[in-house]
Amino acid sequence: MIDRAGVAAPVLSMRGICKRFDDRLVLDHAGLEVAAGEVHALLGENGAGKSTLMNILTGVYTADTGDIHVGGARAAIRGPRDARAAGIGMVHQHFRLVDRFTVTENILLAADGQIGLRRASEAAAALAVTSAELGFAVDPTARIADLSVAERQRVEICRVLLLGARIVVLDEPTAVLTDREATSLLAAIRRLADAGRSVVLITHKLREVAGHSDRVTIMRQGKTVSASLDAKGLNADDLARRMVGEITPPERRAVVSAPGPDRLIATDLTVARPDGGVGIDGVSLRVRAGEILGVAGIGGNGQQQLADAVTGLAAVTRGSVSIDGTTVLPGGVAARRALGLRVIPSDRMASGLIGDLDVADNLALTRVARGRYGVAWLQRGRMRQDAAEAIADHGIAGATPTRKTRLLSGGNAQKLLLARELADGVAVLVAHSPTRGLDVKACAFVQQLIRRAVDGGAACLLISEDLEEVLALSDRIAVMSRGRIVGECTAGSSARDVGALMLD
Amino acid sequence: MLDGLTLQRRQHPSRRLTFGSYAGGLAAGLGLSAVLLLIAGVPPDSMVDDLFTQVFVDPGGLAQTVTLAIPLVLVGLSSAIAMRIRFWNIGMEGQLWLGAIGAAGCAIHDIGAAPLRLPLMLLAAAASGALWIAIPLVLRLRLRVSEMVVSLLLSSIAFLLLQHLLFGGWRDPANSFPVSPPFDPVEQLGLLGFGNVHTGLILAVAAVVFTAILVDRTRLGFQATAIGLNPLAARAAGLPVAATTIAMVLLSGALSGLAGGVIVAGTEHRLTQFIGMNATFSGIVIAFVARFKPAGVLVAAFAVAGIYNAGNTLKVFYALSDGIVVLIQSVVLLSLLVAQFFAAYRIDRVRGVTA
Repeated sequence: MIDRAGVAAPVLSMRGICKRFDDRLVLDHAGLEVAAGEVHALLGENGAGKSTLMNILTGVYTADTGDIHVGGARAAIRGPRDARAAGIGMVHQHFRLVDRFTVTENILLAADGQIGLRRASEAAAALAVTSAELGFAVDPTARIADLSVAERQRVEICRVLLLGARIVVLDEPTAVLTDREATSLLAAIRRLADAGRSVVLITHKLREVAGHSDRVTIMRQGKTVSASLDAKGLNADDLARRMVGEITPPERRAVVSAPGPDRLIATDLTVARPDGGVGIDGVSLRVRAGEILGVAGIGGNGQQQLADAVTGLAAVTRGSVSIDGTTVLPGGVAARRALGLRVIPSDRMASGLIGDLDVADNLALTRVARGRYGVAWLQRGRMRQDAAEAIADHGIAGATPTRKTRLLSGGNAQKLLLARELADGVAVLVAHSPTRGLDVKACAFVQQLIRRAVDGGAACLLISEDLEEVLALSDRIAVMSRGRIVGECTAGSSARDVGALMLD
Repeated sequence: MLDGLTLQRRQHPSRRLTFGSYAGGLAAGLGLSAVLLLIAGVPPDSMVDDLFTQVFVDPGGLAQTVTLAIPLVLVGLSSAIAMRIRFWNIGMEGQLWLGAIGAAGCAIHDIGAAPLRLPLMLLAAAASGALWIAIPLVLRLRLRVSEMVVSLLLSSIAFLLLQHLLFGGWRDPANSFPVSPPFDPVEQLGLLGFGNVHTGLILAVAAVVFTAILVDRTRLGFQATAIGLNPLAARAAGLPVAATTIAMVLLSGALSGLAGGVIVAGTEHRLTQFIGMNATFSGIVIAFVARFKPAGVLVAAFAVAGIYNAGNTLKVFYALSDGIVVLIQSVVLLSLLVAQFFAAYRIDRVRGVTA
């Protein structure tokens, strides 16, 4: 039995890893040490750098600086091939299997002529051995398309092991599983470690850190803030504090207007995800006039489905939505917009703006839909004139009415979007990660505009994975996890309280 | 070998660059075509005369080219309208057949009073084309069936329907070929006094003006452009995606149908099996070269008509096969599309690549 406290010499050691994308330093001297035979949890918020660090380990990216040692020797990992040769394998959140191939065919494809995995019979035999070790039942002749998510994941894990991985990285493996499936997976992970392999478990769930890991490394803003803590004896508070850091309580706005009547009510909203997983499950919330309800949570816990259900882009399987007392389900986007729904989507260039259209066209988009620039004939002149005014009012740098929208910087594109969405008649504003990817100045501007709209009587549903933003802006905070609202906090709650709920 | 090269989208392609690359692409395409024709046995000294003078300069040849261009303008517009909303109509030939059948039906059965006959025929042609495209449209909107497959296969069905009529009820008893009886003079588009050029030309130009205005100046056209460029953002903005798609796609079918009507009423004066003009392929070529702009369609259709016309000459005088003619069309098209690509992108060498 290997000493789980990690006294053994590390089988993997990453030190001083830095990585820069354009001007942004995503990894700032990050590191990770993993011993043989341990399950090592890697914890951190979205954007903390976990994925980048693991992508460097698996050869998807190369580090700008830093060393990787595997088994005590320096490993030069320049590509996925080097990582595989060094015995490193990763199971991604989005499986990399060919749906139309059978399990065996997928393994043969990945093996790429590796000795012992050249024929279907060899692959099937090796798979039988590996899956038995893990306690899985995997049918080698099944087509991937016919397998459940949990079964596909087992195939992925077996494949990584068959390719010779001694160090297995699992990226949030339980996020897509039911509780029972998760329990069985965690048992298999333990068996892997007991057999002498090392497992890096990227996770957000406290249960997996405390109950199923030996040690934990916590990352925040590209740095390793806590390295190789003993997982035993850590509590939620402690982990949440280390993960989100000490956020100074935000300054509250001077005038706290008394919230008015309910403007947005969602009851028992349930949305299925296209891949069959849980999107949101029975979410109920209400937002009053003059109020911002923040929805905090780790990304991928149903935020997108919540936004889409409220705005009318997702098919709702159960539940209702009403704006100012008018039920809008069933009914599309246009009906909701007519009632004053305005939207800041999480990906502005995907579902907010049309990059290949002119600035004036994008500013006019929603009003054209409502027939404001003419029922049949389009008043191009008025569109351009309004655009020129909006550009001046909002200080959208680099924009002219006839310029292509894709040429604008992220911050200015967001200003353009806000100029359109907040121009008139805002009843309910759904803002999903409104400051993602923006610099400090643009962030402040965006938040100020949202605040102003709310002070003008709008109700705002702020869905954000940036806890700091939620804390700074919200009057109330709902916490989302695994597609449900798991708790609510009042304004002024500490990051630690909210963070602990997020980890549930 | 290609390591370290990247494609960069040009941020502001200048007019000169765009025009220059088009001209270059055209020159390269024509050059390559000349080489192909030399290999196929066309004597070099008569090539310019056959391929240019006889097609675009000589009055008789020019009239022939313009006549050929009339339906091509309409199918080009049909493709451009569908592509604007990213509806892959590759069944324009089928819609053209249906249009021809619709117009011929009106003529053969003498539907409507004589003075109204011609307008009715053209209306029937447009309606029949729209009806034929409504099938893939409904299947896509309701069941998400790919319109590519359905519209393409419906072309074959349309052709079988045409044959059914020509070998059956609509066959001219006085003719040993499977063709319909000739139309009455009142059922024919009048000539404009320039070769065989008929009043369909006015119709085609009017269609260009109409679609140009529709695309640039109307709410429907604006919505279609937005939906075509980013359907998700268009939906999120509350644009009526389904209604706009329906309107544009039906218009596309109607334009192809009208092309069929114009061919039977303008040049053939009866329904025959040989009026397809390779409409799907030609229409897509014209629309792409015109970058889906109606005014561009007018020019591109004229050019493609010239190639067809030259092809006919080549077939008659040098016994070249249809294959060579299609090959030359393809070479010219590919050259133009490559030129379009380089007008929009620039090839760069990546700086500072380290191993």
